[in-house]
Amino acid sequence: MLKCRIIPVLTFSGLALVKTKKFAKNPRMVGNAVQAAKVFNARNVDELVFLDIYASDQKRKINLQMVRSIINECFMPVAIGGGIDTIEDIHDLLAIGADKVVIKNKFIENPEFIIDAADTFGSQCIVLAIDAIKIEDDYYLYNRINKKIPLLDFLKNISSASFGEIILTSVNNDGMMNGFDIELVQLVEKIVNVPIVVSGGAGNPEHFKELFSRTNIEAVGAASIFYFTRYTPYDLKLAISSVERPVRIVKKEFIPNN
Amino acid sequence: MNIAIIKYGMGNATSVQKTLKKLGYLSVITEDHKEIEQSDFIILPGVGSFAAGMENLHKSGLANLLTREVVFKKKPFMGICLGMQLLATYGNEPYKCLGLGWIDGEVIKIESSQNLRIPHLGWDNVEVTENNSNFYKEFDNLDYYFIHSYHFLVKNQKDVVLKVTYDISMVAAIQKDNIYAMQFHPEKSQDAGMKLLKKIIDQYA
Repeated sequence: MLKCRIIPVLTFSGLALVKTKKFAKNPRMVGNAVQAAKVFNARNVDELVFLDIYASDQKRKINLQMVRSIINECFMPVAIGGGIDTIEDIHDLLAIGADKVVIKNKFIENPEFIIDAADTFGSQCIVLAIDAIKIEDDYYLYNRINKKIPLLDFLKNISSASFGEIILTSVNNDGMMNGFDIELVQLVEKIVNVPIVVSGGAGNPEHFKELFSRTNIEAVGAASIFYFTRYTPYDLKLAISSVERPVRIVKKEFIPNN
Repeated sequence: MNIAIIKYGMGNATSVQKTLKKLGYLSVITEDHKEIEQSDFIILPGVGSFAAGMENLHKSGLANLLTREVVFKKKPFMGICLGMQLLATYGNEPYKCLGLGWIDGEVIKIESSQNLRIPHLGWDNVEVTENNSNFYKEFDNLDYYFIHSYHFLVKNQKDVVLKVTYDISMVAAIQKDNIYAMQFHPEKSQDAGMKLLKKIIDQYA
């Protein structure tokens, strides 16, 4: 049976690991990216996502040398995003061992790009980041070109595009640690047929129980809960397991030579 | 022991090399025919589409070289993900085309009657079959990392050593004499993956 995945989402400012609240531009610094990757690898997390969240805004490329150091610490799948603008950018990330790339701004600006990318590298390694913001009672696609794009319109338009997974983040709940936006997840899971990673709002194990009992989601991203509370990915797996959803519990028994 | 990881423009060679290094094996990522001929063990990794993979193998003359080394000279071989699928008689991604044809069968799109999400993506437990189960039984029910939208319909069930169930039962790993192959990514499956890689390669070390 396919297991529910717990995925730490490392957000990087260009200088350090940071954690935002509601995507505001004054994030809190939370540590060193390579060190964090090392810890999460030792904790046998199911996957890791690393995003350089200001690369596109600052019109710079992601630091490949640092990404390489992060990937070198990881013996689980890693998805990398931030500032991806060309097919070469994707090639460079996959060549140093990224398993997937996360695309957002480039897709909003030019939806054709993702088709080219999927034709070249296979749709499985293309992850689409969808950041949803709730204004009054409606959801919109959060974007830096300040276009007002209703989320439902956007989701219907992308149904034929080729990508292997989405990361769905609630901007309103980002960093607030007050629980996931269940309504948003229920809306999106009906429309999107690829695996969905839900993120934004994780604060305690009860939030995971709520998400996994009220939706059919198989993957969750989280960050603040790992930085600011005592809970580990293992604690959250026990919570998910308590609502009868399958998780991967690793027994440490195999020690490699090196 | 010299391990050659085949470079043919289809993805995850670096990850495979990193995991082998962690296990203490030296390997080269190469497309050089001489280097491949001199190796003791060949690994064909791969991510991407079947047709593109075959095209790249033919373009560089690697398809013939690999068939000579593995099928005729019986050099130990491991295929991973697309590197497993390419062993089939036919593939269908994105159109029907010939594979290497070492293992009878066809690679087809996963169709789920229960509307499960495609690709089959994430950690899933494998089940041993009755074939060579003494070797594989310690891996029964371990979780491995899968990411694929197509699966290998193998004609001779005796070639199948591990299976996985995602609505339908699918091939997770194959073994036919010196040919080992898996649909999942052992190089991305942490301890469970390393344990399997080590057990297979150590037989030839």
